[in-house]
Amino acid sequence: MLAVEQSESRGRARFILRKVLGSVLTLAFVLVFNFVLFRIVQVDPIGSLFRGRNVPAAKIDELRRAFGLDESLWTQFWLYIRETFQLNFGISYQSRQPVWEQITRSIPATVALVGISAVLSAVVGTIAGIVAAWRRNTWKDHAITSGTMVFYSMPDFWLGMILLVGFSVVLGWFPVGGITDAGTDATGIALLFDQLHHIFLPALTLTLAYLGEYALVARSSLLDVMGEDYLTVARAKGLRDSQVRRRHAVPNALLPVVTLTAINFGFVLSGAIAVEAVFSWPGLGKATADAIRGPDLPMLQGLFLLFSAAVIFFNLIADVAYAWLDPRVED
Amino acid sequence: MRRLVVMLVIAVLAAALAPTAFAQEDDSVVLRIGLTQDWETLNPTVGFAVSEYEIWNVHYATLTDKAADDFEPVPGFAESWEASDDGLTYTYTLREGLLWSDGEPLTAEDVAWNINTGRDQGWDNMYSTVINLDATALDERTVQVTSSVPDPKLPTLDVYLLPKHIWEDIATDYDAAVEYDALDGVGSGPFVITEFTQSQSVVMEANPNYWGWEGEEPPIDTLIFRYFSNPDAMVAALQQGELDAIHGFPASSYDALVADDNIEVVAGQQGGFDEIAINGGAVTGQPHPALLDLEVRRAISFAVDREAVIEDLWAGLAETTDVIGVSADPKWLVDIPDDQAFTYDTARANQILDDAGYVDTDGDGIREMPDGTNPIVLRHALNTDSDIAGPIAELFTGWMEEIGIGVEVESYDQDTLYGVIAEGDYDTFFWGWTPFVDPDPMLSYFTAAELESYNDANWTDPRFEELYLEQKEELDADRRIEIVHEMLTIFHDAAIYIPLYLNPDLQAYRTDRFEGWVQQPAEVGPVIFTNSSPSYAQLRPVGEGGGLDSDGLNWLLIGGIALVVVAILVFVMTRRKTTADERE
Amino acid sequence: MSSLAAQRRRATAGRVWSQFRGSRQGAVGLIVLFLFVAMALLAPVLVDARELNPVFARAAGNPQWASPDVFGPLGTDHLRRSVWAQFVWGSRVSLFVGLAATVLTILIGSVVGVVSGFVGGRVDAIMMRVTEWFLVIPFLPLAIVLASVLGRNVWNIIFVIGVTSWPSTARLVRAQVLTVKQRLFVDRARSLGAGGGHLVFRHILPNVSGLIVANATLAVPISILTETTLSFLGLGDPSSPSWGKTLEEAFVNGAIIRNAWWYFLPAGLGILAVVLAFTLIGRSLEEIADPRLGRVR
Repeated sequence: MLAVEQSESRGRARFILRKVLGSVLTLAFVLVFNFVLFRIVQVDPIGSLFRGRNVPAAKIDELRRAFGLDESLWTQFWLYIRETFQLNFGISYQSRQPVWEQITRSIPATVALVGISAVLSAVVGTIAGIVAAWRRNTWKDHAITSGTMVFYSMPDFWLGMILLVGFSVVLGWFPVGGITDAGTDATGIALLFDQLHHIFLPALTLTLAYLGEYALVARSSLLDVMGEDYLTVARAKGLRDSQVRRRHAVPNALLPVVTLTAINFGFVLSGAIAVEAVFSWPGLGKATADAIRGPDLPMLQGLFLLFSAAVIFFNLIADVAYAWLDPRVED
Repeated sequence: MRRLVVMLVIAVLAAALAPTAFAQEDDSVVLRIGLTQDWETLNPTVGFAVSEYEIWNVHYATLTDKAADDFEPVPGFAESWEASDDGLTYTYTLREGLLWSDGEPLTAEDVAWNINTGRDQGWDNMYSTVINLDATALDERTVQVTSSVPDPKLPTLDVYLLPKHIWEDIATDYDAAVEYDALDGVGSGPFVITEFTQSQSVVMEANPNYWGWEGEEPPIDTLIFRYFSNPDAMVAALQQGELDAIHGFPASSYDALVADDNIEVVAGQQGGFDEIAINGGAVTGQPHPALLDLEVRRAISFAVDREAVIEDLWAGLAETTDVIGVSADPKWLVDIPDDQAFTYDTARANQILDDAGYVDTDGDGIREMPDGTNPIVLRHALNTDSDIAGPIAELFTGWMEEIGIGVEVESYDQDTLYGVIAEGDYDTFFWGWTPFVDPDPMLSYFTAAELESYNDANWTDPRFEELYLEQKEELDADRRIEIVHEMLTIFHDAAIYIPLYLNPDLQAYRTDRFEGWVQQPAEVGPVIFTNSSPSYAQLRPVGEGGGLDSDGLNWLLIGGIALVVVAILVFVMTRRKTTADERE
Repeated sequence: MSSLAAQRRRATAGRVWSQFRGSRQGAVGLIVLFLFVAMALLAPVLVDARELNPVFARAAGNPQWASPDVFGPLGTDHLRRSVWAQFVWGSRVSLFVGLAATVLTILIGSVVGVVSGFVGGRVDAIMMRVTEWFLVIPFLPLAIVLASVLGRNVWNIIFVIGVTSWPSTARLVRAQVLTVKQRLFVDRARSLGAGGGHLVFRHILPNVSGLIVANATLAVPISILTETTLSFLGLGDPSSPSWGKTLEEAFVNGAIIRNAWWYFLPAGLGILAVVLAFTLIGRSLEEIADPRLGRVR
């Protein structure tokens, strides 16, 4: 017995180690890709940094040396890796400030917006999916399935535009953009409520847009489970429908949903680029949209790295969590 | 699980519906201005955007101010001045007890140092004003300024005076000065910079040492400039009372703002104009060879429908012009005779191109060079930071299509576009200018000295050059106007810049928050972003605010009702659900 | 032998078609799609392309910002252009980019999948590693970064979408190839001395083609939505009208604050309809190709 447990935990450790290594490898791939794209395809980073500015030649040479542009590609690559690990992503063309500073400033707004939407859509979507499956082929099922399909099939920012016109322009219930009232000096609870007032529409947009995926996955997963024998047994034991659903069917059907949620969290940071642009929400998405207009390549490069790292990290988390939750995991 | 969701929904709803109910009143008086142009730097030795000038106008008081109605020089730091008989030397007497915002004394030495250093270092913003000047501090309060040539601009001396005790060490070489972030917060104007976050805001606090307060308490404590990337959001913020004034709102919002009882709208004229520049290929880059032919440029000018732009993009608020605006004062503008003006005429444009041998030889709708090669397709650079550059590009493409010229639109943000222009890597682009009061700087931009810098037409002309030097030293006011008129005519005939219209500064302010808004020049000009600093110093809050306004009460009411309704609904629904489940 | 195979293939096609007709969802999707394709192809007949030119629109005396009840059928925009004209002509680019990008996606995905599955061994391992990398990199940011570096025109957009969305197809095709490979007749054909090319083209491809088609149908919505998003963010081709570009122009030029719903509603509805149509068709095809799915959905 003891031996079995040991080998099991050793297998698990090996599994996790393998996943970690895989993630590191993937990250390395992203770094190489980034390097190729921005150093080889886009030829002269220093030149574009100072396009048209009166910069003394000596200064340009100095920067060239700092970037290692007069070195071989290999040295450049090495320098690039070193700088990246020191979180030095260069200077934004647009703001002339370090990219990393700009990015970190935008993270909280995005985490708040997309975090709320991700949780809400997961919860509401799953419930909708469960209802649809349980009432299969009734009007409820059809309404939920086609409703979520429609939201899933439209551009999310377009939905945002419609909500913006309806609720902000016509009805005037919500602000047309931003994270707080312009020039507000509110603090504490007043500030919080101001922010909630602003987050409502973008969060609603994203929730509706994400909902469909959860509803569909939950529905088909529950339908799968409902076909299994033990539910019939449970019913035969005289349990009421609602009890069967709550105690047996739903918990079993939730595993795929949990996995989906974990993986989706990785996309949280990059999930709302166009929607943030529509609502002028000052997060990473809007930073991306603004950087595109430049184009502000160092900024885009930094954002892309961050987005990729987030996905890789959460994938790893999902894998590891899965390993702990499900003892059957093998290599 | 369902209850959890319901609770969440309720919480969100409550949050969404009842925010203003919790808003607190603060004692300090804050003036909030919205604008749609970002700042790149607040360093006055390098910046040149209108949004940046506005901050300096407030942060740095100047030796002389300008009268609000006619721009004549009036006392600023200097309470009086005297001219020498030959008109080359002016002696200014400073006010008594002038202080920088940090409490350091502001002396004649500060003034002299600025004029001399600006000249020696060649700082862009000062250079054309101080190039021929030499200043000496005679004592604490007296500064003597001598010009090596007759200078029609004097006694106006409106260069930003930087605090010598801060800049002395920095300004030793050009690069150090240019790279300085200039956020030391030491100024001499009514408000000084305390906080700057790019793409967001500039916060300025009242400067108790500003001479214009005349010993009284500043009526406004804080001045906040807030940048909006989305002009519609800015308009909405003014309407909802989140801002007190806005600058540069889109003309499409004009009607809505005029209709608002608490908002006053100003379409201020101060000589600003928008144009489409054609690359003249004088030094850098490779414009399409057809553009080097005056006839082609004339044809392009004839194909541009200014009236369409004014009507459709400016709601009729802009004024037509044939020449570029060189001054906030309209006396410098010249009329172009009708038979010389480029009045919209597509047929004539086509005729010119046909006659000059630019015909479409391969039948694809695009004309080629006279030798039958190289179709005329223009690279039009679009500034993504301007909200009308997009529609202008669409129109330009349409106009050119009508005369068989192709257009490829390339988009850049303003910052990148500077570079593209400097490298000459374009054929045409849309741009706007706001001139100063004196026409000299604007005229200087089209001289050879400004090639690869301000000269974004990439064009020079020997006669223009000659006249430029002549007007610069002409003390006879009428004669100087004549010279400038001739220069403008030369520039017009070269068809290198297509002036589209004199654009109004579209501004709006709430009448229920502050009073004392003054138009510069009187009656026609804007109230903020004007040519002198006192515009903000004259504002006073209206009455006393406080308590819940009716708006807040409404929200509280709606929020309360919504909460109750939602709660009842939830209760009913969950009850029915449970019983239904039980029945099944 | 070959005529026999052809016969069999024809029979299969016939069966798929009859099944497809039996699926109401698929039929609805097909009809909607047909309408839009017809509109795109007939655009020059339906609307004069000059209506897209603001100079023409002004000369024609169109009103500015007119709602549909003032200027039919869909109103006008800030430059007096008919929104209907933009809708009709925009469908061409949106559909074309959507389809072309899908073809590229499927092409790359199928080649990688087939080669990886068929050759196996180290090639398979390496190719699947790369596929996994691409699968993990967030898709939209990657597309944005590529489009920003490459510049904006229709072909770059197609390239960007194709290059970023192939991995899931590759995985699917590879799995199917592996299954097919195991089947007996492949072994028999191999034992008869057939070459690798023969195996791939005669045996493997015909058996995975159904799946590829179903997958392609489901990939089109992603391509179209991506084109829309990229255009909306300003990465679209500035010189060709697409639905995404219409949405961008409506947003940038203040359609929202003016409540000019007619400017951005049609383009979005067009995207929604086409995406739904492809989804419905794709799901029907998937059910036919893999009947097991029918039980679940």
